[in-house]
Amino acid sequence: MMRNDPIKHVFIWPAVLVVLAISIFPLIYSFTTSFLSYRLIPPIPPRVVWLGNYATLLQEPRFWNAILTTTLIAFIAVGLQYVIGFGVALALNARVPGERLFRVALLLPMLLAPVAVALVARMIFNPTMGPLNQFLSMFGLANLPFLTNGHWALGCIIAVEIWQWTPFVILMMLAGLQTLPEDVYEAAELENASAWQQFWGITFPMMLPISAAVVFIRLIESYKIMDTVFVMTGGGPGVDTETLTLFAYQEGFKKFNLGYTSALSFLFLIAITIIGVTYLALLRPHLEKRR
Amino acid sequence: MSGQGLTGLSNWSRRLVALGVLAWCLITAFPLYWVVVTAFKTPPGVVGGPTYIPFVDFTPTLQPFIDLYQGIRGEFFRTFLNSTIVGLSAAAIATAIGAMAAYALVRFEFKVRFGAGLIFFLLALGGYLLFNNNLGFTRAQALLLAFPIALVVAIAANRLPLPGPILGNEDILFWFVSQRMFPPIVTAFALYLLYSEIGRLGFQLIDSYVGLTLCYVAFSLPIVVWLMRDFFEAIPIEVEEAAMVDNVPSWRIFLGIVVPMSMNGLLATFMITLAFVWNEFLFALFLTNSKWQTLPILVAGQNSQRGDEWWAISAAALVAIIPMMIMAGLLSRMMRSGLLLGAIK
Repeated sequence: MMRNDPIKHVFIWPAVLVVLAISIFPLIYSFTTSFLSYRLIPPIPPRVVWLGNYATLLQEPRFWNAILTTTLIAFIAVGLQYVIGFGVALALNARVPGERLFRVALLLPMLLAPVAVALVARMIFNPTMGPLNQFLSMFGLANLPFLTNGHWALGCIIAVEIWQWTPFVILMMLAGLQTLPEDVYEAAELENASAWQQFWGITFPMMLPISAAVVFIRLIESYKIMDTVFVMTGGGPGVDTETLTLFAYQEGFKKFNLGYTSALSFLFLIAITIIGVTYLALLRPHLEKRR
Repeated sequence: MSGQGLTGLSNWSRRLVALGVLAWCLITAFPLYWVVVTAFKTPPGVVGGPTYIPFVDFTPTLQPFIDLYQGIRGEFFRTFLNSTIVGLSAAAIATAIGAMAAYALVRFEFKVRFGAGLIFFLLALGGYLLFNNNLGFTRAQALLLAFPIALVVAIAANRLPLPGPILGNEDILFWFVSQRMFPPIVTAFALYLLYSEIGRLGFQLIDSYVGLTLCYVAFSLPIVVWLMRDFFEAIPIEVEEAAMVDNVPSWRIFLGIVVPMSMNGLLATFMITLAFVWNEFLFALFLTNSKWQTLPILVAGQNSQRGDEWWAISAAALVAIIPMMIMAGLLSRMMRSGLLLGAIK
């Protein structure tokens, strides 16, 4: 039932106003700035260049490198998070012994500051004094270039992402699993369906909507990655692990190239929107079939 | 509740699954154990290679924490206080006004004409350009002028029978939640510019309590509205209807009935928001520089400042982590009572 009462405006306006003022308005501001050539250091008066910033960016290899790096991190990390997370959620839902104990431990990583997690990761990945090095030395793999080789560094960042955010997937999938109806499984049991068949025939299709939502949230969030990379590698070696946000930060805050950075952040926004819309369009037929 | 999906497995493979989960838990726990242990090490305990067990491998010391407290490695105490103040107030404000908005979206009907939204956007953009380019106002002044004008005109226009679709509560909710999709760098950078322009008008927002808190409130609101809407929807409407028959005003229904009934939900939302603000790095990096620096910035700085002094880095990381560890414990208790399940449907 919906009421109608003038007081509703008192309820909703504070939130709307704050969001409008803090997120919509800067958007307009940076949107207009993105068409200017505008630097603070050295101070050059703003000059309208229309799409000039965008054109420069699209020809800049460093920009494409940042897009590729961010996409790699996001897709590989989220893919593995989903597989591991779903697996652990299934196990926890099946009342594996000691399941209660796991819950706090599982919730922890995603509540910790990514900056702190990245610092800890730096210690663990240290090629001479770190515990991981000692562990791998036992297999004859001493002093691996964890953070000083581009490919290794990317792998380490992905590993940290997986460590920190798989708990989120576990949490969501576990909640979803607990809403599945019991009787379907009882029927499958009577038919002598194997656990494997039950999973692919019942669990996976029924979990598809929530899976889609979880992967979507994680994908969008992963594209924003910045703090982990900032602390672990600073984008290095070279620009091998530089993500989009980090690139924008370097341009905007180190070089104070305002027009350029604004254009960059808008291209980022467009990229995210394209990815989001494509993802939803690809999934829609599968989701609607189930309803 | 039976064990779905695993009932068909043999005993042997059940054990294998349990082993897998145990492995994952060890992977989760080891870095946490490592940071706790390292924070109590002396320099020789670190440099001489990895050591694992206190009193056996190395002699624990409290020196890293004493250094932290005495401010040898940056003003830790003040930064901790900053983080606490900003975190608590931003989470409290966001939960309060977000819950109000969520309640309004659940119980009242809203109609926003698409045309009015368009008018708002065009007027804000056009007004800003006009004031700035043609009338000689500074950029910040132009923004501050265009914003209220566009808002007032759009609200007035919403009453007119404009063509185009009419947006309802679901669309408003979607608008709130979609704010979360924006890459924060877009806003962080623009906000930094805007704040510094306003600062030039004589109102300091960069590196200030108001500026930082305001920004965090805005960025927590989407989550708050999203979570709280589910909690409010779960409340049976009959209670409120009974109160309405007695002519109790809406704000008293909200404060006297709805808020007490959803206290758990409010608390969980508050804690999730607090965690978000506490850990946030990007906005703090842009919007603070010394006085109102928050913990993540100081912790991130430890690395470049002192190289491999792991005992100190660990102690710093631990200070940032411990409050969240406590919260994880509290939240998992609430989770067990099925509290957060509703939030994800």
